[in-house]
Amino acid sequence: MNDVIVQMKNIVKIYPDGTVALRGVDFEVRKGEIHGLLGENGAGKTTLMKILSGLLRPTSGEIYIAGKKVSFKSASEALKHGIGMVHQHLALVPAFTAYENIVLGLPGREASREKIEKLMEETGLKVPLDALVEDLPFGVRQRIEIIKMLYRNVDILILDEPTTNLTPIETKELFHTLKELKKRGKTIIFITHKLREVLEVTDRITVLRRGRVVGRTETAKATPEMLAKMMVGREVVMKIEKKPAKPGEPVLIVKDLWVKNDLGEWAVKGLSFAVYSGEIFGIAGVEGNGQTELVEAITGLRRVEKGQVILMGKDVTNRSPSELYRLGLSHIPEDRHKLGLVLDMTVSENSILGIHRLKKFLGSLLNLKWRVIDKHAREIIEKFEIVAPGTRAPARSLSGGNQQKLVVGRELSKSPQVIVAAQPTRGLDVAATEYIRKLLIKMRDKGKAVLLVSADLDEILQLSDRMAVMYEGEFMGIAKPEELTEERIGLMMGGYKMEQISAGTKPQPAASS
Amino acid sequence: MSELGMIIDIIEGTTFAMTPLVLAAIGEIFNERAGIVNIGLEGIMLISGFMAVVAAEATLNPFIGVLAGVATGAFIGLIHGYITAYLKGDHIISGLGINLFALGGVAFGIEAVWGVRGYHTPPDAAKVPDLPVINISPIFIAMILIVIGTHYLLYRTSIGLKVRAVGENPEAADVVGVNVERVQLLATIYGAALTGLAGAFLSIDWLTAITKELPAGRGFIALALVNFANWSPLLALGGGLLFGFFWTLGEWIKNMAAVKAVIPVTLMNTIPYIATLAVVAGLIGKSRPPRYVGRPYKRE
Repeated sequence: MNDVIVQMKNIVKIYPDGTVALRGVDFEVRKGEIHGLLGENGAGKTTLMKILSGLLRPTSGEIYIAGKKVSFKSASEALKHGIGMVHQHLALVPAFTAYENIVLGLPGREASREKIEKLMEETGLKVPLDALVEDLPFGVRQRIEIIKMLYRNVDILILDEPTTNLTPIETKELFHTLKELKKRGKTIIFITHKLREVLEVTDRITVLRRGRVVGRTETAKATPEMLAKMMVGREVVMKIEKKPAKPGEPVLIVKDLWVKNDLGEWAVKGLSFAVYSGEIFGIAGVEGNGQTELVEAITGLRRVEKGQVILMGKDVTNRSPSELYRLGLSHIPEDRHKLGLVLDMTVSENSILGIHRLKKFLGSLLNLKWRVIDKHAREIIEKFEIVAPGTRAPARSLSGGNQQKLVVGRELSKSPQVIVAAQPTRGLDVAATEYIRKLLIKMRDKGKAVLLVSADLDEILQLSDRMAVMYEGEFMGIAKPEELTEERIGLMMGGYKMEQISAGTKPQPAASS
Repeated sequence: MSELGMIIDIIEGTTFAMTPLVLAAIGEIFNERAGIVNIGLEGIMLISGFMAVVAAEATLNPFIGVLAGVATGAFIGLIHGYITAYLKGDHIISGLGINLFALGGVAFGIEAVWGVRGYHTPPDAAKVPDLPVINISPIFIAMILIVIGTHYLLYRTSIGLKVRAVGENPEAADVVGVNVERVQLLATIYGAALTGLAGAFLSIDWLTAITKELPAGRGFIALALVNFANWSPLLALGGGLLFGFFWTLGEWIKNMAAVKAVIPVTLMNTIPYIATLAVVAGLIGKSRPPRYVGRPYKRE
């Protein structure tokens, strides 16, 4: 069973914009194993696998499949060699049914419903074939993607961060599936940055850091601490120190809030809660359960259909973002490229977005006072340790972590009383993540109220003083993080209400309307 | 004239007025489904109409004229498709280029070929004959078949699945081995060929003339029709029918002496446009374009 099936030799990848993603990587996978490819964001894991699956071409280096040298010009050529990749942002067509997605690109005669049903029966991967993909939860979409690959006789299955958007229960099911596929002789490459998962499911591990292999090991011989050290290059503080919270007045109150999504369906269904000054209130949950709509409604970006939002004692339901800002609300949006920054504008320009009407930035002819603005930007750069070529450099030229720090810096420079932070550390490296998390705690200690919405459960658990789990527009329960076990949170994320779980009765999924 | 005669007149008029719109709209729906926007419909109609007259007059065979129109459209589609799908150029700029080129090129062409300014009428032998008994063009019949065929192609075949996948999520299509660029190129050629047919219909069938304003905005109406029809061929047929009806009705009203005296003709000309917009916009409501329409697909 020790035959090497994939061998990548001295792979170098330089992107057209000059970014060096891989600096000479040797990578080996044996037939029939589950191989973990571990690394931080930007380590080059996905790039390496995109090369193996034919989506990207290496700048230099050689690939051997079962001893034969190959050079793929496209993903379909890799597929013909039995290599298929399940992408993090699944490569499915949302407007198509599951069946259409599975047979897409196949000649008509090879598309057989019966065969797909038989395959689903055999592997235990069941999906509704006639449902539109956009109506299905992420876990099911992922199964569609795996079936799509298996139906094309893929022997080497690459999974890119497959558990990112899964509930704990779905993750367990996925691991079960992977072990089942391994028994059937499939080779699986599992890309992740989650230590626990790589230890649980893989046979061997390769660790990448900044485009280089920094370690290879048998999983049985690995420890979490050792892997973490290899991955990050230093010891990581897994826990963040924080003092007990001293909550004060309720400064943000939400009463029976009803909000619709873009399709006109109810996304937030009658939520009520309060956030107190001096506390971090966390909202966990798998993405797409109404968190985005909730944040947009609170920050004045989306219409409230019913209910109330009360900020600093004033009813601000359906008020404009600029009014909310004047009352002391700051918003760190979940998508910094879409809502946080104008990438082609300079650091200075971005640093005053939303506060550009302040008197101190305007001259007597309503002209912008660039000297004052540059100074404002420089203050943010210094205070938040942003690495930027200068205040007049476009925001695009900053790395993701520094872009996010710029957004956070601008929002905090508004000296807010209430901070709404949505996915504040998404896509950031360990150092930037730690920095921003500590900053949120610091703001809390200064008596600000923080509403934290995050799909990263660890983040919610680490930072929150109180937390709620959101599922299909409702809270499954509000509690202190230390009162909840992981299993309970998992059940809540999967749609069980806290009372049902505590009552000890056989849990029933919450009714969805 | 009897009332029956008037009704028949309006029906016949409607079949003519709707044909070029629906043809161009169906073509555009097809390539937009594959993610390629072509705003050059007006220009394609104009150039194809011109080439159709040239070919039909030279051979005195309207069939050859129609073929020339379709081939001209397909050729322009090939250029536009190559620029947008393979060279990842901007869809709007390329389409704009087609319109601008057509404007100058055809005005020049008319003068170069016939030595007249801006207007030429081909001989009767170059005109597509109407069907026997009723005054309806065979191209109208072809148009109906094309609508049904395109609908079938889009929703019932694996080719249609590929086309729609490329416009919705080219990456997903790419991963399973669909040649994204080739599908886009072929879809654009098909779309432009139908628009070419619309141009030939204008110049050697319905109007039997070539002028430098031959399409008179029909290319842009067709573009709007694509939106209102929510990228569905069958709805585009319905929208075209409405427009054709109002257009014919407008022509009718505008020639009544009593009306002519009160309302300026140019104002009357806007009736079909406004009426169609009002009806169709009211009926369809929110439309959803293909998710990747107009965006160049780049792998890296």
